[in-house]
Amino acid sequence: MNSGSESDKFSLADFFLAETDDPLVPPPDFLKWRRDVAWAISLYEPSLGSAAEAICQLGSRPVINMASYGYLALMRHPKIIQAAKDALDQFGTGSCGSPILSGRTTLHDQLESGLRLLTGKQGVLTYNSGFAGALGTVAGLLRKGDCAILDERSHTSLVDGVRVSGARLAFFQHNDPQSLDSILTRESGKRRLVIVEGIYSMDGDMANLPALLEVAESHRVGMLVDEAHSILCCGPGGGGVVEHFGAGQRVGIQYGTFSKGFSSCGGFAAAAPEIVDYLRFYSNPYGFSCALPPATVAGLSAALEVMREEPWRRERLWENGDYFRQQLQRLGLDTGDSDSYVVPIVIGDDRAMLYELGHALRDRGLFVSPVDYPSVPLEKLRFRASVTAGHSRESLDQALGIIADVIVPAMRRRGLLKGVQV
Amino acid sequence: MTREAIQAVINKHIMEISEEIQEAQIDPSRSMKDLGLNSLDIVEIVSCSMRELKVKIPRSELSKLTNLDALVDILHQTVAQKEQAPAS
Ligand SMILES: Cc1ncc(COP(=O)(O)O)c(C=O)c1O
Repeated sequence: MNSGSESDKFSLADFFLAETDDPLVPPPDFLKWRRDVAWAISLYEPSLGSAAEAICQLGSRPVINMASYGYLALMRHPKIIQAAKDALDQFGTGSCGSPILSGRTTLHDQLESGLRLLTGKQGVLTYNSGFAGALGTVAGLLRKGDCAILDERSHTSLVDGVRVSGARLAFFQHNDPQSLDSILTRESGKRRLVIVEGIYSMDGDMANLPALLEVAESHRVGMLVDEAHSILCCGPGGGGVVEHFGAGQRVGIQYGTFSKGFSSCGGFAAAAPEIVDYLRFYSNPYGFSCALPPATVAGLSAALEVMREEPWRRERLWENGDYFRQQLQRLGLDTGDSDSYVVPIVIGDDRAMLYELGHALRDRGLFVSPVDYPSVPLEKLRFRASVTAGHSRESLDQALGIIADVIVPAMRRRGLLKGVQV
Repeated sequence: MTREAIQAVINKHIMEISEEIQEAQIDPSRSMKDLGLNSLDIVEIVSCSMRELKVKIPRSELSKLTNLDALVDILHQTVAQKEQAPAS
């Protein structure tokens, strides 16, 4: 991105409404912007030449991967791969139809049993996409005239679910029980649902569940917790933030994805069996979309088993997260509200710097993603680093060394470094 | 184009997004958030207004505005500049 150019001022937030007569003609100003910022955007959607492990192959060389959501480093676990291969041999490549009309496999039943054990909820529904599942769960529950009250940092899948449902969409201030209380009061009289996440994907902080639940309960309103980034990674048994806070009985519906802790693909909703049975018929991404492939499902059940046998992965994940975050803070960098293995490095509002540093980090062998407005606030552009259980201490130190060489001097020059506490 | 005409365009789009809001409730010294609109509603209202007024201001500049008056001002200025500039 050329510093100070006109295109610098524009972002993806500016081209949603197309000014063309034909939907098949993309907006010309978008195309021009896209050309102007091609260098910056070339950091996105890179092609990996290996598994998304702690050290992966990017282009022609190995890099330290801090962009993967495979938090528990299960993506090449031999037991999981063997289970998937066996299922591929026995059950073939696909589920071949919508679960309701064309059925699923006994492997799906086993996975659902495993997820019941994990969450302590007796009803479970699995989806072939984490995004579609979150959207479909929300849209399956809410109707026009209802009101969904979401934490303002909620993921797009949840927001889109509310929009599809036609319910009113309201946001409360991030993790703020008082703000939730005032919105619940404002919307009283409607059917309401509070929606929060377990660990927030761009900030790495945990939901303030006890305080938020207290407020929701005082209004007699139920809660959905999206544990995309926390399921299997959080709580003594991997049951997520809900288990961490011992709040299983108080949370009406728990949602999780398989793309992160499980290092696979898909998602699931867990709730009372009656709600899940209702969703089976009213959550369209379930009923009108093919069931997960059998090999994936077998791998997911094996992942549950592996995490019962190897709880050290969860411990290592948190240790690595704490170490990395604390070291970044010692360098004087701003890790925002993070208290987990998702660690933002907030650099401020200088977009040109975001992309210059992004390229410099990549050149030095650190794969970490820049996150730009509108995904995060304008004045809080950042790199989003994910630590995993698969990172060795040496690889974390190497990453920190690259960050110290690349980000720290740039921030110091601009007077943006926090007081260094060495 | 007058300031009032620009305010009218914005008001129209506010009321199109939310059936619950009446014109009399729209106080230009306050923000759209104060009317109970969420951030996505606001993006849509501003985008639709800009499309109708045939101007484009980067969202990053608009996100600093604190009330409707400030939005009307910046749109008014931009429309005026465009009206003065020779057609390209
Ligand atoms: C909170 C939340 N929900 C849902 C999803 C969608 O999950 P998936 O990537 O598995 O489709 C994500 C993914 O980033 C997420 O962060």
